[in-house]
Amino acid sequence: MADTDVAKARTAPTGTPPKAGNPVWELMVRNQSIVVPIVALVLAFSIGAFLIRTQGVNPAYAYESLFRAALGTPEGLLRTFQKTTPLILTGLAVSVAFRVGLFNIGAQGQLLCGAMGAAWVGFTMKDLPGIILIPLATVVGVLLGAMWASIAALLKTSRGVHEVISTIMLNAIAIGIMDTLVNYPLQAPGDDIARTPEIGAGAKLPEFGVVPSGFILALILALVSAWVLKRTTTGFKFDTVGKNKHAAGYAGIGIAATTIYAMALSGGLAGLAGVVETLGVVHRYESTSNNGLGFDGVTIALLARANPMGTIPAAFLVGILRSGAAKLQFDTQIQPEIVDLLLAVTLLLVSIPIIAQVIFRKRAASQAALSSGWGA
Amino acid sequence: MKAKRALALVPVLALALAGCGGSSGGGNAGGGGATDADCAKAEVLCVGLVTDTGKVDDKSFNQSAWEGVQAAVKELGGVSKYVETTDTKDYGNNIKQFTDKKYDAIVTVGFLMADATAAAAKGSPDVKFIGVDQAQPEKDAPANYTSLVFPEDQAGYAAGVLAAKLTKTGKLAQVLGLQIPPVEKFAKGFEAGAKSVKSDIQVTAVYHPAGTNAFTDPVWGGNEAKKALAQGADVVFGAGGKTGNGALAEVAKASGAGTSVFCIGVDTDQWNTVPEAQKCLVTSAMKNITLGVTDLVKQVKAGSIKGGYFNGTTGLADYHDLKGAVPADVQTAVADVVKGLADGSLKTGVTL
Repeated sequence: MADTDVAKARTAPTGTPPKAGNPVWELMVRNQSIVVPIVALVLAFSIGAFLIRTQGVNPAYAYESLFRAALGTPEGLLRTFQKTTPLILTGLAVSVAFRVGLFNIGAQGQLLCGAMGAAWVGFTMKDLPGIILIPLATVVGVLLGAMWASIAALLKTSRGVHEVISTIMLNAIAIGIMDTLVNYPLQAPGDDIARTPEIGAGAKLPEFGVVPSGFILALILALVSAWVLKRTTTGFKFDTVGKNKHAAGYAGIGIAATTIYAMALSGGLAGLAGVVETLGVVHRYESTSNNGLGFDGVTIALLARANPMGTIPAAFLVGILRSGAAKLQFDTQIQPEIVDLLLAVTLLLVSIPIIAQVIFRKRAASQAALSSGWGA
Repeated sequence: MKAKRALALVPVLALALAGCGGSSGGGNAGGGGATDADCAKAEVLCVGLVTDTGKVDDKSFNQSAWEGVQAAVKELGGVSKYVETTDTKDYGNNIKQFTDKKYDAIVTVGFLMADATAAAAKGSPDVKFIGVDQAQPEKDAPANYTSLVFPEDQAGYAAGVLAAKLTKTGKLAQVLGLQIPPVEKFAKGFEAGAKSVKSDIQVTAVYHPAGTNAFTDPVWGGNEAKKALAQGADVVFGAGGKTGNGALAEVAKASGAGTSVFCIGVDTDQWNTVPEAQKCLVTSAMKNITLGVTDLVKQVKAGSIKGGYFNGTTGLADYHDLKGAVPADVQTAVADVVKGLADGSLKTGVTL
């Protein structure tokens, strides 16, 4: 995307790099991918503080009540972890697709497939013991998510349909299908609300103290994804196809197979996010309860710059902010949307290369385009 | 230089943003500067409100309920505050903000919050919970949980009577949201009211196909209204959130809007919520949410509130600018119907 503009902008600042040779400075230069988001976060919170001040509230007090509510009590921590879990998974889903140069905006639809699949297994076979029910619900949900994503991949490899278009449209189709299911054949009998019956007791994911089991699963998957992408031939194939698919094809990597495989993995991860929401938090499929989680995955992946390990802090940040928003409003009457504002500013600052240029001048690392864009 | 100019822009932008969000004012202390900290005291009335996903100034349910809380607290003194829900999974946590501070009454708005409210009521038996438009649990409903519900059929009936008296073509149309009991009650009431005036009147009803957008699809609503007008309907009842609003706005664009073609809104006075429909909007079939909430909060203070369902009142909104289009004898007749429905002397005959 607009590679030439980025290159032009990068050469624009003409200062000499300050403090060259200083070891701390060298460390910062080497770890730009960590320094830049932190600076962005500080800037975003400063802008937020200013806005909070204009509403007549002490920003320190506002931030304190937000973080205290999210992290200061066992209950708050559990809620924060619950909110973080699906975001790590959808963030991973979008990141994996980025690696092969695909922009998977369809994580939302894939997540809905997973959430519904898990709920369906969970309530139709609710008398099965958890040891069978949980794996079964998980497999069904993940497979449905993977299948849904594969449609976009197949359209891409067979007909050249751009995945941004097809995944957006598949989102709309998934929403339509799930709404129809939850309003008619799968609606809980005698319920006014569009939702399925509750899943069996055995299907509910346990919590270990304040840590939901889904969170542990998400952490493990982040580690596994990082390892696969960095250390295995699969990861190498993904990266090669993502960077230059003509070269990849010339080197004998099956582009179509790699694309479909990566997209199915991406969809499976998004589907798993839905599974974990259904089995761990909502305990049924309810049409309003999965709103936006898939789209949040795009935010997380961009914040993490498609680095699987980066999705953990990125998701955790979003989880904390969302978890503390109610207390923030209760204590200060600041509207909960301030949280989205903080995120949007952070994301904006991370996505554009300004911060790196201002801090690192000529030594700013180039930010590779995450997706192969429209022409590819 | 450029950087400086950009920096100067930041506060300007910030001020503009702050202006947009200026409606925040979640708290008001009525009784001699009492605050949250005083809520544990028995003599200080503290009322909290949790909105459904949406803002407290939505010009609809959330806002009406909040105005009800404010009216009661203004009269009785005390503290009131709201928390706005952004995610349906947060209902419980949002309610908990108020139970943590020992509020006396907590109002929760919207039928989706019924489960969370019932659970919170069980957990805090000393706090009174008022659920607006919520179904009580079928068994073991907590005694401290009161559902404010409305006889939608009565509001629909009165609107139907007015519509039947206004129509020249003898054809009425209804553009509706999802086919769920409250919407159906509006629709059946409307039909019954219309048929009570002219038994051979033609009343059509279209429900939005199921979907998360059933109440947020103004385009569909507008198209259905257009079809109805083409088929000769001259009064359109739009009942179904933004879907219905789309129908109202479409009718307002028709030739003869406000003179030979009319529309009727729903739930709240839509003169305020859908200004683009003012040209045709003769009235709205209203649920008196504000009155009902105020009434229940007063009952909390007086200690007379009971668990279970509490029936609020319904009525028709003001005619506003279209008062001239409604003949005086029709106005009296409709007022009589509203009165008869309220005191029980008139029945809608709608069973659901």
